[in-house]
Amino acid sequence: MKKWMMLFGGLMMAMISPDTVMAAEAATEAASGTAAVGLGWFCIPFAGLLLCVALFPLINPELWEKYQPAVVALWSVLFIIPFAMFFGAGEAAETVLECLVNDYLAFIVLLFGLFCVAGNITLEGDLAGSPRINILLLTIGTLLSSWIGTTGASMLMVRPVIKMNSWRKRKAHIMVFFIFLISNIGGCLTPIGDPPLLMGFSRGVPFFWSLIQLPVMLFNMVVLLFLFYWIDRKNYRKDIAEGRKPDISKPGTEIKLEGLHNLIFVAMIVAAVILSGTLPSLPMFQDATGAVLGLPIYKEVHLPYPTIIEIVIILTAAFLSFKTTNAEIRRKNHFTWGAIREVAILFVGIFITMQPALMLLKSMGGSLHITEPYQMFWVTGGLSSFLDNTPTYLVFLTTAGAMELGSGIVTALGTVPVKLLMAISSGAVFMGANTYIGNAPNMMVKAISDENGIRMPSFFGYLAWSLRILIPVFLLDTVLFFL
Amino acid sequence: MNHNEEMMRELAERIYDLDAEVYIQLGSSLGRVFDRDRERCVTEMMRLMLERDQSHVLRSQLALISNMARTISDRESRKMIMSEYNNILHDVIELPTSFGTGEILDQSRAELLEPNLKKHLKERFSNQDHLVICIGRTYGCGGSEIGFTLADSLKINYYDVEIFSEVIKRLEAEQDVIEDKAAFPSPYKKITGKDGTEEYVYQQRAFVPEQKNGIRTAFRNFNRYHGLSKRDAVYFNQSDLICDMSKNEDFVIMGRCADLILTNNHIPHISIFITAPVERRIRRIMEINKGMSEKEARRLVKKMDHKHRKYYGFYTGSKWGMPCNYDLCINSSSYGIEGSVELIRRMMEQE
Repeated sequence: MKKWMMLFGGLMMAMISPDTVMAAEAATEAASGTAAVGLGWFCIPFAGLLLCVALFPLINPELWEKYQPAVVALWSVLFIIPFAMFFGAGEAAETVLECLVNDYLAFIVLLFGLFCVAGNITLEGDLAGSPRINILLLTIGTLLSSWIGTTGASMLMVRPVIKMNSWRKRKAHIMVFFIFLISNIGGCLTPIGDPPLLMGFSRGVPFFWSLIQLPVMLFNMVVLLFLFYWIDRKNYRKDIAEGRKPDISKPGTEIKLEGLHNLIFVAMIVAAVILSGTLPSLPMFQDATGAVLGLPIYKEVHLPYPTIIEIVIILTAAFLSFKTTNAEIRRKNHFTWGAIREVAILFVGIFITMQPALMLLKSMGGSLHITEPYQMFWVTGGLSSFLDNTPTYLVFLTTAGAMELGSGIVTALGTVPVKLLMAISSGAVFMGANTYIGNAPNMMVKAISDENGIRMPSFFGYLAWSLRILIPVFLLDTVLFFL
Repeated sequence: MNHNEEMMRELAERIYDLDAEVYIQLGSSLGRVFDRDRERCVTEMMRLMLERDQSHVLRSQLALISNMARTISDRESRKMIMSEYNNILHDVIELPTSFGTGEILDQSRAELLEPNLKKHLKERFSNQDHLVICIGRTYGCGGSEIGFTLADSLKINYYDVEIFSEVIKRLEAEQDVIEDKAAFPSPYKKITGKDGTEEYVYQQRAFVPEQKNGIRTAFRNFNRYHGLSKRDAVYFNQSDLICDMSKNEDFVIMGRCADLILTNNHIPHISIFITAPVERRIRRIMEINKGMSEKEARRLVKKMDHKHRKYYGFYTGSKWGMPCNYDLCINSSSYGIEGSVELIRRMMEQE
């Protein structure tokens, strides 16, 4: 554990050390030809924010909770002001608004909608959380992820999993594997599953093409569930040995789902997500140059009409869900705004401060000379662990499309060989599980678990889990599928 | 109980009450931090306060309560609860790092004892407690006979497979489809005669082999056993039953991890492990089962002991037959059945 922490600490230091930054700058200049664009230095607020997310809850959780918005605002300002001084206030405003309007808004509204609707569905019953029940729940959730999205499946499954395991003391590992499988890996089969795939779909990748990743997903699922079973069994035995036992005094199990009509609203949200991927390609939403039409906000920043439609549908679904569901269900579900509030605050800072890193990536993507599937898998995945996986996916899809590597999947960005596209997609989707900030549902699951008596691992603790469990699995993926 | 212990108990009770209040205020059904009975949780917290390297666990549990408390929607209630939380936290921080003095006494076991117990086993039990004797034994050592004779001489009930039959009733399952994993083929079974009197009769087998089931049965069992395996469902029900019984009657119980179940539930009992050298056990099995070869008997002893070691290890996390897990270990080959019973009785009744 200590060794892994030291390794990660070293990586973080390397990330923010001047040498690394200078190297990045040199590469940026060489690639883009722009003079003395010190984009690398502007990544420091992003690294700073990540360190705060990682360290503050360990040092003083109460203070962190109280001053989270202030810390996020501070690092955002520390990025915006120097950026404005260097590139001009207009450019800075445009960059910030662009990420807030085009990326963050749709992202947080989708999370909010699914959080609200799933919070109105409750599972009543006395199924006892045991290794086999947990395997069953994780399997259902993983298979569901590709069809209602990783966020949808996570929000829908998180409370039943917490509830069934409420009798147990050792349950953090269950939520860690929940994040691995349901919040990330399960979403690789369709564009509904994870936003990067939706982006690919809107760029011409066929809707059902992602099903090609079924063997990779199944392999990962089987390996992870196998590991989970043994870890859970060990912890289950320890719980029993301490005299803990589930309440199974009544013969027979009664399972009752309340608020089931909310599944209609989940379907509404899923439809909204699909529309956001399909509408931009329709001529009625495009101008003469093929750009997507939208509501002008500032200079070149537009809120696209398809995004507005998506937001309206999602918010309507959330509103109807609240109006039509008994408040008692939310009470039983311990529904609070804490989790969504925490995610909304943290991710607004992450979205703003990661802009220079994404700019660097965009300018350097083509010059990285990544041509092999295994390289694409690890580079896309490694960056998706810390950055937003949607733009990361797009950068490497663009890079692969521009390389003209022969036959493959025809997209709007060029023809991409199947294996290469698989590597980009898998890397972007799977490796979001590497850190809490790799994918939004990760943070949501953590926040909901924290609120319900589960001591979740810290940022570094979680990273240790992914280094010990996920990285070896991804290495196996590389050998079996991407070499 | 000294001043420090009183203080710790009061603090532990305040923590338990705080958790209960948070849970009531939230109305959540997703579980709470201290989800077991009050006495057990309070005792557990006191143990954490006492142990040198465990105080962080208590603080971690407090932090979990505060995480939940912060989500209470009613501002007044939240303020009141958080204020109590802060007071408790202050008191916890003020606790000395450890009250430990290097004592070898295991608190979890010692709390079952009256002060003079170390001399007199029977005095472990207060007037409100029932005499419960848990006997673990290796296969073929005569443990069942010793247990049965002991129960008979003390005029108390003897339980072995009867526990399992009662659990089956609770689970509304059919006995012939579940194997009693905790049992040896016990030679005795309690039956009720026509006149209503109960007596023990000799029998060869106490359980039947598990049958293979189809998908429909698997679904039915999934529902019946709350998604647990049959073995776990039986164990959990058995635990409840043993605890319930210990509140109502005196008895001798054979195996079934009863010693650990009762220890975990802070119920006074006497735990005994009976064994004998393997060669002597093999000879005895051959004597009882006429026609059984030495090879078969040896295999049976090995198989049965292995099965029980596995079962005990799985549910208790402890080593089966390890002397430090019991109050008394007896080599039955040194005393014989009557002698072993006499030894146990003498230990219990010694003035």
